[in-house]
Amino acid sequence: MSVARFDELIHAPTRLQIVSLLAALEWADFKFIRDEVNLSDSALSKQLTTLEAAGYVEIRKAFVGKRPRTSARLSKTGRAAFELHVAALQEIVERSGASVLRR
Amino acid sequence: MGGHLQPDDATNALTQIRLQQARVIDAVLVPAWYWWAVAGGMLAIGAATDTRDAVVLAVVIPICALLIAALTAAMIFGAYRRAQLRSSDLLGGRGAVAIVAFVWLVVALTLGIGFALRAAGAHLPATIATAVGGAALVTGGPFLMRRLRQIMLGNRAGQPR
Repeated sequence: MSVARFDELIHAPTRLQIVSLLAALEWADFKFIRDEVNLSDSALSKQLTTLEAAGYVEIRKAFVGKRPRTSARLSKTGRAAFELHVAALQEIVERSGASVLRR
Repeated sequence: MGGHLQPDDATNALTQIRLQQARVIDAVLVPAWYWWAVAGGMLAIGAATDTRDAVVLAVVIPICALLIAALTAAMIFGAYRRAQLRSSDLLGGRGAVAIVAFVWLVVALTLGIGFALRAAGAHLPATIATAVGGAALVTGGPFLMRRLRQIMLGNRAGQPR
């Protein structure tokens, strides 16, 4: 039985970068994500809001001293959607007869 | 359902996912200079021990031990503050065993050589032992990081089936 589902929301290039990054992490600081995916604060906020609205990302706002700190993580739903999306991509590649790069 | 997606585009997306996750893993791994710094601290402790001078021992050992501990804490908590790796998923049992085995190997090697040289009446036993232990750190540390990277990439989410 196939456990693959292509996800248009995740597949958008910037969101794919963000979700791939979050998939390897428990929590990530907003600035860390911003620097890793090379986005402006506002662009990242917009993408995170979209992912949060879909239930894929959880946002945590906290204060460290007087400074606000925003962190994000992939929700269970988001993680499952990502796994299914990767499986869908692999299926597309495998159907074409090409091999999936493992390293 | 992504039926319109070409295999090349899917391959590119999978490559992008793999590279992004590899970058994250690299960002939280310990840099090579850390092993040199710890090895230097160990060697200083060894050399201080061999002086048998109470003042040198009282000053050098606590300072070096404190610096090594502070550097290690800064490495761990600095990375932790920026991003918390899913270490239980990514490292798994093999990663934990590799870390513990490496630490035990360096400690056992350093202490073993130190005590053996002292028993044999060798000159500067602690300096030689910590130099060997430091060399093990400098050569083995980056090797351990490469091994952990390999393990984590193998355990990452979305790993090809």
